[in-house]
Amino acid sequence: MATQLKINPVTRVEGHLEVDVTIEKAGGKDQVVEARVAGPMFRGFETIMTGRDPRDAVHYTQRICGVCPVSHAMAASLALEDAFGVTPPPNGRIIRNLVLGANFIQSHIIHFYHLALPDYIDTTGLLDMSPWKPRFQAADLIRGPLAAQLVGSYVQALAVRRTAHQMAAVYSGRIPGVANFTAGGSTERATRGSVSTFRPLLDEIRAFIDTTMLADAAAIAAAFPQDSELGRGPGNLLAYGVFDLNDDGSSKLLGRGRYAGGAEGAVDAGLIREYVAHSWFTPESGGLHPSDGVTEPAIGKDGAYSWVKAPRYEDGVYELGPLARMWVNGDYRRGISSMDRILARVQETKKVADAMAGWLDELVLGDPVYTHAETPQSALGVGLTEAPRGALGHWVRIEQGKIARYQVITPTAWNGSPRDDGGQAGAIEQALIGVPVSDMRSPLEVLRVVHSFDPCLACAVHMVRPGTRAQRPAAL
Amino acid sequence: MRLSRRDFLGASSAIAAAFGMRIVWRDGAAYARERDDGGLPIVWLQGQSCSGCSVSLLNSIFYATIDDLLVNTLDLEFHSTLMPAAGPLAIAAAEKAYRRGGYVLVFEGAVPSEGEYCELWPGLPAEKGLLRYARRASLIMAVGSCASHGGLVAGAPNPTGAAGLAEEYFGTRVIKMPGCPAHPDWVVGTIAGILATGAMPALDAHGRPVEFYGKLVHDHCPNLQDYKDGIFAKSLGEPGCLFELGCKGPRAFADCPGRRWNSGAAGEPGYNWCIEAGSPCIGCAEPEYPDGMSPFFTFPPAGQAD
Repeated sequence: MATQLKINPVTRVEGHLEVDVTIEKAGGKDQVVEARVAGPMFRGFETIMTGRDPRDAVHYTQRICGVCPVSHAMAASLALEDAFGVTPPPNGRIIRNLVLGANFIQSHIIHFYHLALPDYIDTTGLLDMSPWKPRFQAADLIRGPLAAQLVGSYVQALAVRRTAHQMAAVYSGRIPGVANFTAGGSTERATRGSVSTFRPLLDEIRAFIDTTMLADAAAIAAAFPQDSELGRGPGNLLAYGVFDLNDDGSSKLLGRGRYAGGAEGAVDAGLIREYVAHSWFTPESGGLHPSDGVTEPAIGKDGAYSWVKAPRYEDGVYELGPLARMWVNGDYRRGISSMDRILARVQETKKVADAMAGWLDELVLGDPVYTHAETPQSALGVGLTEAPRGALGHWVRIEQGKIARYQVITPTAWNGSPRDDGGQAGAIEQALIGVPVSDMRSPLEVLRVVHSFDPCLACAVHMVRPGTRAQRPAAL
Repeated sequence: MRLSRRDFLGASSAIAAAFGMRIVWRDGAAYARERDDGGLPIVWLQGQSCSGCSVSLLNSIFYATIDDLLVNTLDLEFHSTLMPAAGPLAIAAAEKAYRRGGYVLVFEGAVPSEGEYCELWPGLPAEKGLLRYARRASLIMAVGSCASHGGLVAGAPNPTGAAGLAEEYFGTRVIKMPGCPAHPDWVVGTIAGILATGAMPALDAHGRPVEFYGKLVHDHCPNLQDYKDGIFAKSLGEPGCLFELGCKGPRAFADCPGRRWNSGAAGEPGYNWCIEAGSPCIGCAEPEYPDGMSPFFTFPPAGQAD
């Protein structure tokens, strides 16, 4: 006898997310046999950008997501630099890496402590007020001294992630919504003052990662051994790579790579296609490479259940994110599961933070940070980078000096995709299969798997057909 | 408009405590003891948002740290990014607040004309949800440019028919705090001011608190003397006034020059801000943002200022 469970809103994710699971008894236990993941919010970013000054894409696309604006700023800057034929000077590249690194840290901290951790601990008696109440109860939650320790870390982490943003602002001007990224480099320069302001903030954060965050993650992994066996998903991993260590980007802190069918492989972005059989878009929008992407909405389309498209690599379903990055770079090979996603994310936080200390030393005080290039009349550009939650690509087409087409494929479009034209379920949908559900009123086992991907729905859903405009009532 | 004293009585003492003392957290057990039930009730809903204003609020430290706010000051009854509850349990928390009424409704993000473009939860399109929760709110705060004026989501051609919270509908119960994102001090400072005085803050013609949006960026810009002396940056990354590169400071009202962004301690100005980072102001807190402020950059640089 199958039971349906709908979780909407899925909270502690960026944006609006719905998860529907079908639960059946198998092997004496209630478990998920089918899952559907849907994004129910839609804005139309690419359409809004059409016809605008290409340089403005760096600012516009940051507003796709307030959690990872810096990754969009980086992808847009790289896409424009590709189109303009310009390379930032080393200081510009390094400053951008420092700001992006600071935001990776804040995003990973907020995910681990504030979005994921509440799935694993019982805060009763520790945080007995909203927003931590009401909360789900379950027999397996961490209680007692370890729960108190983790709640202490949770509160401390609120301050540490804020410090990461202060650190970013030293070079970005402000954050969220960084000011310094631009096609050609950075507007903010490296000075003796800025380096000496940045360094102690980084040291403070690194100390927190080393003494607290790594240990907290290990404690949760030890308390939930079964979660290292759950939520595997497709088992295919993909990373575009991020943090260029040289001018042409051939060397990166986290390199580009792919892992499929148990073997490593190269990445050819030309093999990416987006499918829409189960998304609210017309059939003509399906099967296309992002540089030729068409996105015509079809509200109420038969068989569709999400505003998210289904990107695939050589028609394969891939998982993106810290685990994919750390795996293809050989930094993490413990396993592929919901707990491994958490552990890889925490270990990546350390890897990035440690590298940043070295980048700070590489800055040459007073050196240029920006190389100017005129906007071409006509050009194509691709910007491939990583958001904290996975590979991010921007594709821009410039005509008559303006944006003629702008296409974004975000990590959550991959991870949170619906089924594709061949009926293959998305990565999170696959990861949910076999997850036990001990209590329908307290679906923590499902939430743990979903949260392990750190979904970001504002990023995943951002498209609408050019030229369509809904009629607005006079006033709202 | 005079606010009901009953609504804010408990909260006033709580925020006074938050301002008056710095709490050092040592272990989890300490938190539960610190707060009684006197927090200011908040229902925070997100429409077509990027969550950037929520993330910005997490950076609060100038008036009160975010942990002080969450633990001691606010009673954040619904915020989908932070609450452990999900699905029906989360909705029940919002509905409980609704039945009690008197909360501050914070709305983040724009509202589309078609319900299909954004629902808060099953069966509740953003517009319907906004109207429902506004009905029993003592005060409505439109946080960020999207909620205030439609913001980037309403940029031409406004494909989803997005809009902010119109004054003519919600009247004087709405305080607008635009900004892309809103500065955490604008939000926390406004709440603190209300709690201290029991009265609505003075608002400008666009519904923004004068205290934070009353000054022209340009008039208080550290580059003002460069502007007057005709010293203009000719390219990005160069010293000098950014006016010729497209700076919107002369048309932007906000206290960024003095307040700055991403403060590191209570009462201290932030580490940096857009213009000091060498980037032209994009006028993100103005009603005409983004269309009236685009393009953000001017290349080649404009001629000599008049």
